[in-house]
Formats: sequence, structure tokens, C-alpha cells
Amino acid sequence: MLFQSNRPYCGMEFSENSSATQYTPHATLLRQLLISSLMALAMFFLCVGKSLAAEHIIQMTAEEVHEDGFGSKLMAYKMLSHTVNGTNITHRYSNHATIPGPTLFLTEGDTVNLTIYNDIPGANAGVLKGISSQVSVHVHGVHYKIVSDGTLKVINQEDDQGAGVGPAQTHANYSYTWDVAPGTAGTWAYHDHNYETHNGAEHKGLFGAIIVNPVGAANYAKEFVLYLTDDAFWGMEIDSHGMKQKKHGINPDFIARKDSEVRFHLIALGTDIHKFKLSGYQWADPGTNNMINEVAIGPLEKHVFTVKATKNAQYSDENFTNKLMGMVGKLKVSH
Amino acid sequence: MNKYFSGLSIPLTKMTVLILFTVTMLASSMAFAAVHNITLTAETLPNGQLAYKLSGEARAAIPGPTLFVKQGDSVNVTLTNNTAVPVSFKVPGVGEQNPAMTAPGATATYAVDATTVGSYVYHGNSNGKELLGLFGALIVDKTDGSVERYVNDNGALTAVAQADIDKQLVLFMVGSTFWATEIVDGIQKPLWANPILGAAEDEIVRFHVLSVGPAHTFHLHAHRWLKPGTDSVIDTKLLVDGADAHSFTIKAGAGVGKGDWQFHCHLISHMEAGMHGSFKVGGAGTSSTVGASPYGRILLGTDDVPGLVTFEISDEGASWFRSARGDAIVGLPYDIKTKSLEVMAPGSSVNFVMSDTNGVHTISTLLWPTGAHHMPFDQTSAYRGGGIIKLDTPGLYVFTCKVHPYMFGAVIVDDPNTVGLDLGNPEKEYKIDLVTGISGLPTSSDLAVRLLRTFFVATSPDNWQDYSSQIWNVKFPTLPVRISGAPFSEELTQGGVSAPLSILNVNDAPLALLGKPAVPGVGEVWINTQFEKTDGKTKPGTITVVDAKNWTVKRKIALPEINMNNPHNMWVNRDQSVVYQTQWFDTKLTMLKRNNGQLIKNIHVGDTPSHVMTLPSNDDITIAINGENGVALIPAGKFEISKILPTQAAGHTSANPHGHWVSADGKSIVTPNINTGDIGIYGVDGKIHSRTSTGNNAPGAHPIAIGMMPDSSKVYAANLLHHTLSVLNGDTGALIKTINLIADYHPITGAFADNDGNGEIAVGVLPIQSPVSPDGKAVVIASTGGQIVIIDTATDTIVKMLPCDPGCHGANFGAKKGGGYYAYVSNKFSNRMIVVDIDPNGDGNIADAGIAGDVALVAGNNTAIDDTVNSLPGFGGQGVLAIPVVYNGWVQNLPSKWKKGLTDAQKNPIGH
Repeated sequence: MLFQSNRPYCGMEFSENSSATQYTPHATLLRQLLISSLMALAMFFLCVGKSLAAEHIIQMTAEEVHEDGFGSKLMAYKMLSHTVNGTNITHRYSNHATIPGPTLFLTEGDTVNLTIYNDIPGANAGVLKGISSQVSVHVHGVHYKIVSDGTLKVINQEDDQGAGVGPAQTHANYSYTWDVAPGTAGTWAYHDHNYETHNGAEHKGLFGAIIVNPVGAANYAKEFVLYLTDDAFWGMEIDSHGMKQKKHGINPDFIARKDSEVRFHLIALGTDIHKFKLSGYQWADPGTNNMINEVAIGPLEKHVFTVKATKNAQYSDENFTNKLMGMVGKLKVSH
Repeated sequence: MNKYFSGLSIPLTKMTVLILFTVTMLASSMAFAAVHNITLTAETLPNGQLAYKLSGEARAAIPGPTLFVKQGDSVNVTLTNNTAVPVSFKVPGVGEQNPAMTAPGATATYAVDATTVGSYVYHGNSNGKELLGLFGALIVDKTDGSVERYVNDNGALTAVAQADIDKQLVLFMVGSTFWATEIVDGIQKPLWANPILGAAEDEIVRFHVLSVGPAHTFHLHAHRWLKPGTDSVIDTKLLVDGADAHSFTIKAGAGVGKGDWQFHCHLISHMEAGMHGSFKVGGAGTSSTVGASPYGRILLGTDDVPGLVTFEISDEGASWFRSARGDAIVGLPYDIKTKSLEVMAPGSSVNFVMSDTNGVHTISTLLWPTGAHHMPFDQTSAYRGGGIIKLDTPGLYVFTCKVHPYMFGAVIVDDPNTVGLDLGNPEKEYKIDLVTGISGLPTSSDLAVRLLRTFFVATSPDNWQDYSSQIWNVKFPTLPVRISGAPFSEELTQGGVSAPLSILNVNDAPLALLGKPAVPGVGEVWINTQFEKTDGKTKPGTITVVDAKNWTVKRKIALPEINMNNPHNMWVNRDQSVVYQTQWFDTKLTMLKRNNGQLIKNIHVGDTPSHVMTLPSNDDITIAINGENGVALIPAGKFEISKILPTQAAGHTSANPHGHWVSADGKSIVTPNINTGDIGIYGVDGKIHSRTSTGNNAPGAHPIAIGMMPDSSKVYAANLLHHTLSVLNGDTGALIKTINLIADYHPITGAFADNDGNGEIAVGVLPIQSPVSPDGKAVVIASTGGQIVIIDTATDTIVKMLPCDPGCHGANFGAKKGGGYYAYVSNKFSNRMIVVDIDPNGDGNIADAGIAGDVALVAGNNTAIDDTVNSLPGFGGQGVLAIPVVYNGWVQNLPSKWKKGLTDAQKNPIGH
């Protein structure tokens, strides 16, 4: 296993292609582990007096996307830039607005300064009948002060905390500070809370995930992010090699190398209650040692599990209507 | 004794209550185990909701008393039922799962052993009535005095002892409303509906979040806690269908500080329905603020605090939005015939709970006082739950369900400083706004008065047209109302003077059947008499089968063995032997034998299936899943859905298709998408060919039913709330024309004139089913405002208006004996079927279209029955199906015995 290495420590830049981040075959695992440990140890001593915590500066915007051909639109977040202690890692993200939005990898102890912009047509038009044109980023799981709640003033009693024209305040952009404090490890949703009403447009595509790892956490060959919505899975795949975010969209087919450790990040969103299955696999229920092979998950719950990719499988939602509407995808295991 | 060990936490002022508890310390093997003897009553609150009351307390509360016990204790409950419905004391997951019911006025005892640590719901188990407030929490704590750990600001999982707790908050998630109790120093204080919870920063707060009824997820902003039984840190938790409970402890503001942190259900539909509140974390002494109270400022309320009126959403005809105190309101001396009207003061809230329905619904405003805040109130998609909204602006608010758009509930928010009940906003000349985009409509206008009449007729069976009685009375409340400008009566001309609504009454109007059509029809006419009630069922609805040979009611099919619920629309298989029946307030498609009405199969198909048709090409069954987002397919001869064709691209708003039609070649399915205001044309392979907005982009046009030309060249779609008929190219979906069905009506004065210059004064208010005749000559539109409008497909213009009854709804064609076609038209709020002959002289010109006669839909002496009708006989006419099916594409597939009665032209309607 490797130490978390998707970001530089102490301003020391790792090449995205350095051996420390590459997929590691089993045979060399032990050796690699030793080297990595030594490197980390060395770095720790090199950085005495400096915190291991990283500072993330993130800029994102929201756009209209996925014209369905019949005039109905969705919205999506787009990464504009992401630097970690000054190192630019923006190339890991799609150049386009995507559903789900960018997956942000963080480590306990980090801080995040995220600024949201708004490129949705009408963002700067006046507010009609109190309808908000703002978009925001409301995050789950991590610590933040009330000014970073990403909600409208009608909720937080402080400010319309988004970009665009709000019912009470207007901002060209809005910045949030997150304290990725100890105890916040896990996978969490972020989503809009301000578009049109105080409920926002999370169900129109404005959602994404943060993955908070503990310091020194295991690394996984692949990270699969899957949002369970009312008629489809929206997902993406991230290869630990290069951390490039790919395969955005509906019911993606995931690919894993045989016997590699892969991690699924499930978050539900919408109105339906789902029952997730990954055929032929079982996994530990988070926070317990219980092995399970299906899980009930409701909107904005998260469920993170790892499996060793041993065989092809189908993932599915067993919800009556969703299953009949084809809410399934594949895990393809290659040799 | 530890304050939590005594079983219940009691207000200090009510300490005498303690003597009612006999806490018996048991000796020997069960050291420290206690027996808690608890005396409860079930009560009716001023707003009609139900609640448990602890003996000795002055008042019942929602939730009921929180019962704290220790593992190993036992609980004996003595329950006296002071309500009008049977109630119980059920603790799901603990003890007796089918406890005895306590009849009204009776007393019974219940015993529960607290063997397992955890949080449990107790509830009344009253067939849905428990959702009105008969629920509470039973908390079984560890004997060592420890409770759930909290996640500290440094991430440490920190142990908590009972003595460390500063405050406990009990939050029930029911329908789409939070019901809360705050417990500090053992004092239980009701916080009622959607309160503001308060705590000082760093206080240790133990939450007990519970649910009864449909599922929820609970989310509290910026706080984390442990998933019960695990070390998993979460900030959102699912509470599953039925009953569920979840306790956790937090340190208020840990790592995040002070603020107004929102808590809410995270299901989108419930968020939109108002299911949220605030957790205020502040300085020392920060306290909670009570929410809307059933004792507060509502009609006949007792307390000068914000009040709450509650509607139960029901499958029962007319009572779809039934005030929890509807029976009491009808009994008031104001001649109120509806159970769907409530009156409250500004600043009070209206609450909805889907406690008596198997379907899914929205809670959506149809009209509201001009300038009212937070309007329209609506949800993106239909779901189970309810809704809650605070109303500050005086005036009339009418709520409906978008899926079932004749479900109505009305609330008058009355400014106590004006004379009479305010029907509009006093600040805006008592005007109202409509969801269709009309704003500033004077409440004195003809349209406003018609809408008011529609409400009082639809929700009051006493105001329906019962042809058996031969007279018709419509009674409006004697309450004076305040409207724009002059009141209803010419005599009362001083602008703004209030007049009683009963000025609109219709008294002893004669009501007579026209008589049976002279020429028989071919076969049978099946009509969904959707509101008719029978002895063997709790749910309404029958199928009424009329023999077209002699126009008698041949059979009534209630299907008590499956409690058939609101049968809405039908079709039949190729050989006309199996009838398919949707249950529109339920989840089922029913198959039954045509010849004897016997049940074949009752199949789960999804939420709120509306219409059903076969594909003429292969006899597969297509079902519009009106409460969801697709059209289900059941292969011919099978009893299971093979797939659901989505009516929209993934992630896009649910279309909620209602009355679809299938092309004569069986290749495309055309749906009126009520939720997205468009017509979709879909391939049977699931491909979306086109989606075309209707109603000239007005909001909420509500396309509801489709008719198609026999060669599929044109699609006709009725837009219920836009009062138009859209004409589309059947191939491309391109909009050809929008026919205004109310051009000849002046909404302010009510004057009728040939404004569209087509030579006829004709209007169709609230058009619904609009089939095209099998020969493609005419569209017949049943309009719920009480008109039948006939369109000539050659010119796509209105050629005729014929009178219909209130709630005119369904229409479908069948063969007329000897040639030609009858359109059979049903009515929701009367109990007859009207027979329209589109071309009596058979010359091919439909200018002579007229009513051929009518048929009472009440069972006669020779009617075969499977259950006994006990009320609303023959009412609720909706889906209509003539057997044999004689539409082009289907008629050619009829078995020879069914073709025998048809003319050559009827057998081949467009090739002839």
C-alpha cells in the first residue's frame, strides 16, 4: 500500500508520473511500501516545524449543460483551477462542466478556500419575485463557519452565500473556507443550495463529492464515484495513477485491473430511496466488520467501501422503477 | 433517583403526576430493572389532529410523551381512547406487533419489555390516523448511564454520561413535517411543528430523530455524529419506511461555532414541501422557539400563538384534502358542505399529510392572494409525504395535486380586522393570482366565482348532480366573504361590502335524464365510476358495465378481494377477453375477465398508474406511470413489467405522463406530460422522438390527454389549465395549432360571444379527454367545466358545444349499430353517462353532432354485483372503454365474433 500522495508535501513537487504514484503490482508491494515509508519519514524530518496540512485554493464555476435536444437543461460545476500549496493540479479535472462535478481529494488537516463563479445565463439578471439566480457550494462533513454554509440569507440569517443575484445580496463570486479537521475523514457531498429557491438545484446536476482521507491512509488503484439519483447513476472514475478524472456521466462502466483494490464512493441524491447491489461482491459495512452485499441508501447519505476486483460484475439499483428503467452499470475486470 | 430512571420526565409544575408512576424495584435476578406504569389517553386536538396525553398533564402533545427507560425495564401502558377512531399502542420491533385496538371510549393495557438498548417509535397503529399525531418515542438506555458518544471538534469520539446532557431534542419526521419536543432538566416542552431549535455553543445535545410513515433522510448542517452501532461519522441518516428511530449526541457548534444551522429532510420532494427548520447555536441561554401549534390562531383555536390547520390527503372521493376536523366543520352552523376548507389567521401554517392514500401526490397551489409570499408552492415531482407552509398574506389559497388535478383543499387566511372572510389580498384590492400566470384577477370576476363554485361542488358530494333524486341543490357556506369591488348580489352594491357565499346557492333545480339513445350501440361500455363506495372495501371505485344493446347497467365490479382503489382507465386485449384496469391512487394494474368481471391478476406497476392501452401491433400493454417518469410495458400474455420507457432524458424533470395514446401502427407512444407541460412522442424501443411544449409556454398548461388521427397524422392534446387543444404533427411532433377553447368567454364579466368568429358560441373550460373518432372526422372534448366541445379535424375548428355535467371528464368512441360512432362521455360529479352522436344523419358532415341520450350509472335490479354499493352511487365517472375497441389498428385485430356486429366501414375505418 502507498501513502496518500495525490498532493505535494512541504511544497515539494511530485511529478504526476513519479513512481510513488504509479500502480504497484503485488510482487513489489513490500519493497514499494518500504520505500514510501522511508520517503515519508524523510519528508517529515525535512519539514520539521511545518505542518503536513495542505492549503487548497479552488475556483469553480457553474454552467448549463446537457441540452437534451428538447430544450430542457441541466446544470453542472466546472473546475477552473485547483492549487495545492501552490502546485497546480487543475489538469486532473475535465475541461468541461461535468455531472458529477469535480471530485476533490482532501486530507484531514487540510484547509480549502473555494471560490464559486456563476456562468449560468441570467446569473446577473435581476431577481424576479424573489427567485434566486445564485449558485452556491454547500459542503457536507467538513468544518466551516456559518459564512461558508453556502445557503441563502433566509436560512443562515447572514448573507446570500453564492455567486450571482440573490434575493438579499448579490455577489460576482463567493468564497468558502473549509477546515478539513480531524474527524472529518470520509466521502461527502457538495451541492448547490441557492439556485431559484433555498433548496437549490442539487437535483439539476449541481453536485459533486469530496473525499477526505485520514493522514497516511491507504491508496486505491481506482476510485469510483457513483451518485444514485432518481433515474440513473451519475459517476466518474479516478485512476490513482495520475489522478485524472474520467468517464463522467450516466451509468458508467468502470474498469479495474484484476485483484486490484478499488474503492466505491456512493452518494444518493434526489427523492428516491435506493438499494445498491454489486453482483457477486460483498464488502465491510463502514464503521463495522459486518460483511454486506447490498445497502439501502437515501438522499445525501454516503456509503464508501472497498473490494478487490476479482471478477466482472453489474452494479444496480434494486428500487422497483429505477431497475426497470435500466439503472445499472458494469464493473469490468481486466487482466 | 436519576431523573431518567423514573421513566418519564415531567414538568416541575406537574410533579404530582409522579405519583401516577409506580416504579417498582424488582429484587433478585433482575437487579435494578424497573416496571413503569404509564397512564395515557388518546385525544383530539382543536385542529382535529390526534395525540397522546400523559395522565395528569393538562394537554396532549405531538409527539406524545417521551418514555425513558433502562434496558431490562418493563413498561405497562394503560390507554384510554377519547378519540373517535380505534387506537392502539404499538412499538414496532419490540413486543406485540399486532396489539389489540382500543375502541373509542374504551380503556386497555399494553405491556412492552425493554430488552434491547435503542430508540423506538410507539404509535397508534390506527390505519393511517396515527400519522395525525399518535406517535412518541421510547428510549431504552444502557444501565451504566452512558449514551451515544459525540464527535468532538478535534475528531475525538467522546463518551457521554446521562448527567453530561444539557438538552434532548425529540424530532419526529412525519409526512413532510417535523414535530418536536425539547427536554431540559427532565421537563418535556412541546415545540410543535417545524420549530426553531436552540442551544448554546458547546452544549451537549442529544437528538432523537424518529419517523412514522414514508421514509426520510435527516440532515443537520455543519454537524457530524456517529451512525448508531458503528464508528462511522455521518451527517445524514436514512429513516426507512414504516417506523424508524435514530439517536445521536452532538456538541452544539463543535468545530463550526455559532450560527443558524438548517436541519431538513434531504429528499428533494420533502425539501420542496417545506420539511426544514433551524438549529440555532448561540450564546448562553439560547433557547428554542415553538413552531405552529394545533391550539393556535385558527378558526375556533384557543391559544394566541401561531396555529396550524391540517389536511389529510385521502383516496376518498371529494375528501381528497380532508381537514383533520372536517366532520366538525361540516357540523358547524354555517352550512359548510365541504370537509376541504379551513380558516386561520395570518402567520399560522397549513399542514398536509398523505395519511389515507396509496398513491403519490404533489401539494401545489392553484391560486393565492395577489402578492402573497413564497407562491406558488409546489414540488418538482410527486411523492409520498405531505407539506407544510406558513401563510402570512390574507386571502384564499387553493391547493391541488398536479397528478390528480381535481383534488382540492382551500384555506382562507383571514385578517381579523376586515369584515367577512378575505377571499383576496386586502392590500391588493382582494385580488388573486392563478398558477397559470394570470395575476391580479378580481375576486368579483366571473372566472373567480366559477373557480369558487368548482371548489365547492368538487369537494361536497351533497352538491353533486344525483339523477336518482331528480333535483339539484348546491349549498355554499352562509359565511360572509370579502371580495374585490361589488359583492355577488346586485342589491349589495357598496364596493367591498361582504356578502354571504350562500348567495350563490342553487335551490331545487329540476334534474332529469334525457332518455336512452334510440339507436343501440354495439357491445358494452365500461365506465370507471371511480368514487362509488361499496361495503366490502375501504377504497372507493367500481367499474360500471353498460349493455349498449338496451342501455342498462349490466354489471358493477368493485373487486373487494383486492380493495380496488380508484379505478381510472381501461383497455382490453385483442380478443376482448381480458380487461386491463389502472388504479390511479395506487400502484396497481388489474387484469380481469370481461365476460364475468372476475379478477385475474393484480400487478404492481409503479406509483399512480393512470392510463393503459395495448400496442395494436403485438398486443403488448403500455401503462402511463403518472406519478413517476415513464411508460411501463407488459408483454402480451405476461403478468410482469419487462421495462419502463423513460419519458425524459436522465436527470431531467419527471414528465409524469397521464392519458397517453398509441399510434395505429403500434410504433409510437404519445404522452401528455403533465409535469413538464409538453407532448412526448416515443418509440416503443424507448427512443425519445420529440417533445413539444403546449399552452403557448404559459406555466402549468397541464396537457392531460391525447387523441390521434386514425392514420396517426395528427395528435390532439387537451391542456387542462390552459383551456386549449394543441394540434401536433403526429410524425414530427411539430405544433400545428393551438385551439383556444375559452375564446368565447369573458373571464371578468362572464359574457359569452362568438369572439373567435367561427359561427358558434362554444367554450370548453378545463378540457380533459379528447379522443378522435375512429373515422377521423371529429374530436370530442369532455370539459370538466360542464361542456362537450366538438372539433372538426378537417379545419381544426370548434363546430359545436354540447351541455355536460359538472366534472365532465372521460370520453371514448364505440360503434353505433348499423354504422357510425357514439362518443360515450362520463362525469365525475354526476351519475349518468352522456351519449354523443357525432353524425346522426350519417352524411359525413359532423355539423349535426348532438346528444343521442343518456344512461344512469346506478345499479338496477338486474345488475350483477360483486359488492354492495353503499354511497355515491354511479358517481366519479372517468375512464370510458367501449368493447369492442373499434379504433383503426385495433378493430382489424378483432376476433370474427366481435366483428360480426360491425359494418364494413366500421371494420376498416380509413381504408373504406
